[in-house]
Amino acid sequence: MGLFSKTQKSPIDEAADRAEQAFDESYREELRNYGRVYFEKIINENAKLFKEDLDAATTQINIDLKDHVIKKLDTTISKITIELKDHVTKQLDSEFAEYSAAMKEAQETLMTSQRRNARALEDQHDQLTVTLRKSVANQSVMLESVFQENMTRMEAMKKAQKEALRTVNESARALEEQHRLLAETLQATVAKQETILIDAFQKNMAHIVEHYLLGALGDQYDLKAQLPSIIKQMEDNKQAIADDMKL
Amino acid sequence: MSKQPSAKTHAEFGLPPSIVTKVDVSRMINELESVDNQLTAMAVRARTTRPPNQTPPILSDQLTDFLKQNKLDIDTGRERRLLIQQLRLLKDKMPVIHMTFAVTADRESLSQLVHWLRTSVHAQAVISVGLQPALVAGVYMRTPNHVHDFSLRAALARSHEALVKELEVSRAEG
Repeated sequence: MGLFSKTQKSPIDEAADRAEQAFDESYREELRNYGRVYFEKIINENAKLFKEDLDAATTQINIDLKDHVIKKLDTTISKITIELKDHVTKQLDSEFAEYSAAMKEAQETLMTSQRRNARALEDQHDQLTVTLRKSVANQSVMLESVFQENMTRMEAMKKAQKEALRTVNESARALEEQHRLLAETLQATVAKQETILIDAFQKNMAHIVEHYLLGALGDQYDLKAQLPSIIKQMEDNKQAIADDMKL
Repeated sequence: MSKQPSAKTHAEFGLPPSIVTKVDVSRMINELESVDNQLTAMAVRARTTRPPNQTPPILSDQLTDFLKQNKLDIDTGRERRLLIQQLRLLKDKMPVIHMTFAVTADRESLSQLVHWLRTSVHAQAVISVGLQPALVAGVYMRTPNHVHDFSLRAALARSHEALVKELEVSRAEG
């Protein structure tokens, strides 16, 4: 009851006193540590979240920027393409127009030249036709005259051939006659030659036999072997030799 | 006793069988002249000096045979000179018979031939030897004025006509 005897303090003051008592320095320190840890935790979580958000935002920004740039570029390219197309179309149209005009002019020039050439060709053709007709006429006349000449020559040649044939026949007959005479003469000559050869053979045969004997006997006898025969022959002619020595 | 050369002329000389040709006679004369020179020189030396062992010159067989056959001496210079003189005359006047043979003549056969010639034809005959293989066999002999062809070639030539006739007969029979 003592407590109730004391001056009554308001609950707030009492709470404050109690808090003063409860929340002493160590408790505060503890709270501060706790707060610090909690704060760090919160900070870390927030930082993590912030980082995630930042990453997501960065990614989103990249994507958005990319899309934006692409869109911008597409738009610009489309614009440039359209402008370039228009410019090129205009340029080409103008050049085509120039080329068409030049081509038209050239075609006209060519057509003019062709018409002129055609006229010249027609003139030349006319001239050639006239010349050809004249040449054909001349050739006809010449061919006719040549034909006539050839006919004349052919007739002359036929006559000459007939004459030559007659001469050849006569020559053949003469040749046959000569051949017959020649054959007769040849036969007579051959017979004569045969007789002459046989006579010559007989005479030469004697020479051949002699030659053979001379060759065969040439070295067969020495002087000693011949001596009796020599002395005998000298003995037979002894008187003639002796008479000659006395002269 | 040998006969003196002054008493024997060249016509009386006999020739030995070893002397066959005129060349042999010429050689004998040359030899005799050489011997005469040597003997004369020896005689001169013998008169002037007295050289020991003077040997006389050796004579050839031909000269020795000739001197023996004719019984001649050549001791004195006069004899030698006379003999040389006569031999020169003999060489100029000796009859030469030219004999051509078909083969080479040997000395022995020539000696026999010259012996026959000297006994049958002339005592001083010599021969001049020739060679002609075309003769085949036999001898072709030429005396001073005649030719005697005793060769086989001449014999065949003489019988040429007979050979032709024989061939004609053979041909007719064949």
